[in-house]
Amino acid sequence: MFDNLWKKTLAATLGLSLCASLTVAQEKYGFGTKADPAEIAKYDIDIHIDGKGLPAGSGNPALGAEIFEIQCAICHGEQLQGVRAMGANSLHEGRRDIKKLPYATSLFDFIRRAMPLTDPGTLSNDETYGLVAYLLTQTGVLKDKDVVLDAKSLAAIKMPNRGNFIIDPASRFSAKDVH
Amino acid sequence: MKKITQFKPNRRHFMQAGMATSAALLANSALAEDSVLIPSRGPGRLISETGTYGVRSQYAKEVRMKGSANGLVGGAFTPLQNSQGMVTPSGLHFEVHHSGVPDIDPSEHKLLIHGMVKDKKIFTMEDLLRFPSVSHFHFLECAGNGMGEWMAPRGKSVQQTHGLTSCSEWTGVPLKILLNELGVHGNAKWLLAEGDDGARLARSIPLWKAMDDAFLAYAQNGEFLRAEQGFPLRLIVPGFEGNMNIKWLRRLELSDKPWWTHHEVTEYADPRPDDKIRAFSFFMEARSVITSPSAGMKLNGPGFYEISGLAWSGAGTVKKVEVSTDGGAIWQDASLQAPVLPKCHTRFHMPWTWDGRETTIQSRTTDDTGYVQPSYEEMYKLQGPIGLMHNNAIQNWHIAQDGEITNVR
Ligand code: HEC
Repeated sequence: MFDNLWKKTLAATLGLSLCASLTVAQEKYGFGTKADPAEIAKYDIDIHIDGKGLPAGSGNPALGAEIFEIQCAICHGEQLQGVRAMGANSLHEGRRDIKKLPYATSLFDFIRRAMPLTDPGTLSNDETYGLVAYLLTQTGVLKDKDVVLDAKSLAAIKMPNRGNFIIDPASRFSAKDVH
Repeated sequence: MKKITQFKPNRRHFMQAGMATSAALLANSALAEDSVLIPSRGPGRLISETGTYGVRSQYAKEVRMKGSANGLVGGAFTPLQNSQGMVTPSGLHFEVHHSGVPDIDPSEHKLLIHGMVKDKKIFTMEDLLRFPSVSHFHFLECAGNGMGEWMAPRGKSVQQTHGLTSCSEWTGVPLKILLNELGVHGNAKWLLAEGDDGARLARSIPLWKAMDDAFLAYAQNGEFLRAEQGFPLRLIVPGFEGNMNIKWLRRLELSDKPWWTHHEVTEYADPRPDDKIRAFSFFMEARSVITSPSAGMKLNGPGFYEISGLAWSGAGTVKKVEVSTDGGAIWQDASLQAPVLPKCHTRFHMPWTWDGRETTIQSRTTDDTGYVQPSYEEMYKLQGPIGLMHNNAIQNWHIAQDGEITNVR
C-alpha cells in the first residue's frame, strides 16, 4: 500500500546513498523492470503520422455509417452537426472540423483511444477504419464513397489543410521537425 | 461524551451551570474580583472528534465553480477572488477533464517508457519513489483560461474570467534522470505523454523540455496528488499549457516526430484570421489580474483599499507588475511579494485610496524575457477575435460610483 511506500523507499534510498559513497560513481540507479515487446504492445496504442502503429483490418464508409448511427449520432448528430446538450461539437465545421486535421492518423488514433465517450476502447479495428472512412467521405476529404481504408491506404491520405499549420517559433521547432 | 465524565467539573462549569445567564455572571463584581472568570470560550471540541485529516472551518466557504455538459468533459474554476498568497489549496485547484476522474490504485499503476530509448522499462510507483526527487512551486494554467472573454467581457467574477489557473508545490522525479537512465536515441526530439483516464489523453512533448525542467510529480502541497490532479502520477511541464501536464501518466514514448494528436491540432491549436492555424504553442505567456477588488465585489464607500492580484509567466519570472487606477492613463509599480519564482504565481499588492469616483482598475505584467502583457487590441493582432486559447490580455474592472465592480473591456 501507498502509506508503506515511504518507509520502504527511505530504506532503499539510504542503502543507495551508502553504495554511492562507497563506489566512486553511481552510474545507474537500475530501478524499474525491462519491458519486453509483448508488454510494450499492450500499451502502445498510438498511431504515428507515418502510419506506424496502424493495426491490421479494414473498413469502408458503409460499415462506418452503421456504427456511427448506433454509437455516435446521439452526441455528434446525424449530420455531424454536434449535439450541444451532450457537449459534442460539430465534426464538419469550426474548430473540430475533421477536414482541418493535418493527418488522418490522428483521427484513427483519437477515435480508437477516446470514443465513444461513454465506452472508450470498445471499437474493433475494422469499425475504427470504417468510422474514419465514413467521416472523411462525409466531410468531403475522400471522394470515393466505396473507399476501403486499411493501414496502408489510411497512412497515404494527404489531408488538404496540412499546409495551413504554422509552427509557433517559441516551440524551438521548424517544419522539418514536425512533418 | 463518555470521556468528559473522567474530568472533575471545574469552577467555570460549575458556575455556568449554576448561574442563570453569563451576563449576570459578568455583572457580579464579587466574581470579577475573584479573577477566575476571564472571558473565554472554555474547552473546545474534543481532540478525538477533530478527525485525523484536517478540515477547514465551517465558516470558510470558498468553493470551485463546476461546468460540464455531459459530466465527463469539463472542469472546475478556482475562486481567485478570495485567494491569498501564491499557493492554491489542493482542494481548490482548478480541474479540466476529458473523460472524468479515474480512481487508480497506486500499487497497480505502471509507467512505460519506450520508443527511441536504449532500455525500455516499466516503472512501478515504488520504483519512481526511489529516485532522487525535486520540489518546485509552479502555476498550472489551462490554455483555455478566459476563452469566454475573447469576444466580449462576459464573466461575472475573476473566478469565471481567470479561474483556470492555480499554483502548487509539486514534488517528483526529474524526467531527465529517467531518460538519462534509459539512454535517449540521438534522433529523438519528441515524447508522447499519455494518461490512464478514459480519454487516454495524449500530447506531444518536446524532448528539450523533458531534459530541461520537466518532472513526474507524485505529490502536491506536501501530500500525494489528489485524484483530480492525476493521482498517482502526473507530468509537470512548467509554464506549458495545462493540458500538456498529463494526469494519471502511464506512458512516455520517444520519437523523432510529434503525433499531431487530436487535442494538439484542434482544441489546443490557435486558428488565425488568415486561415492559418498556429500549432505547438506550448507557452502560457505572461499574464496578471487584480483579484481584489474584482468583479462581483462592492467597495464600501471611499477610503483605503489594498489592491491585490496575481501575475505569472510560463516563459520565466515576473519582473514587474504595474497597476493603473484611472483607466490606463497612469501606471504605478505594484510591490511583488516574496518569493518571486519562475513559472509561478506571484502575488502583488498596491495601496490605494478610492476617492469615490467612477473609474477602471487594471494590471499589466512584464516578465524577465522583456515580454509585456498585451491589451486586447494588441492580442487581436496575433489571433484576431476568433482566438480561444492563450488569452493573456489585460483585465479591466470597472468601479461605479456606488462601489459596484464589473467586468469591462
Ligand atoms: C456521450 C457522447 C458522445 C458519444 C456517444 C460519442 N462522442 Fe465523440 N465526442 C464527444 C465529446 C464530448 C467530444 C469532445 C472531447 C474532448 O473535447 O475531449 C468528442 C470528440 C470526438 C471527436 C473529435 C472532435 C471533437 O469534437 O473534439 C471525434 C472525431 C469523435 N468524437 C468521434 C466519435 C465517434 C466516431 C463516436 C462513436 C463511435 C463518438 N464520437 C461517440 C462526445 C461523444
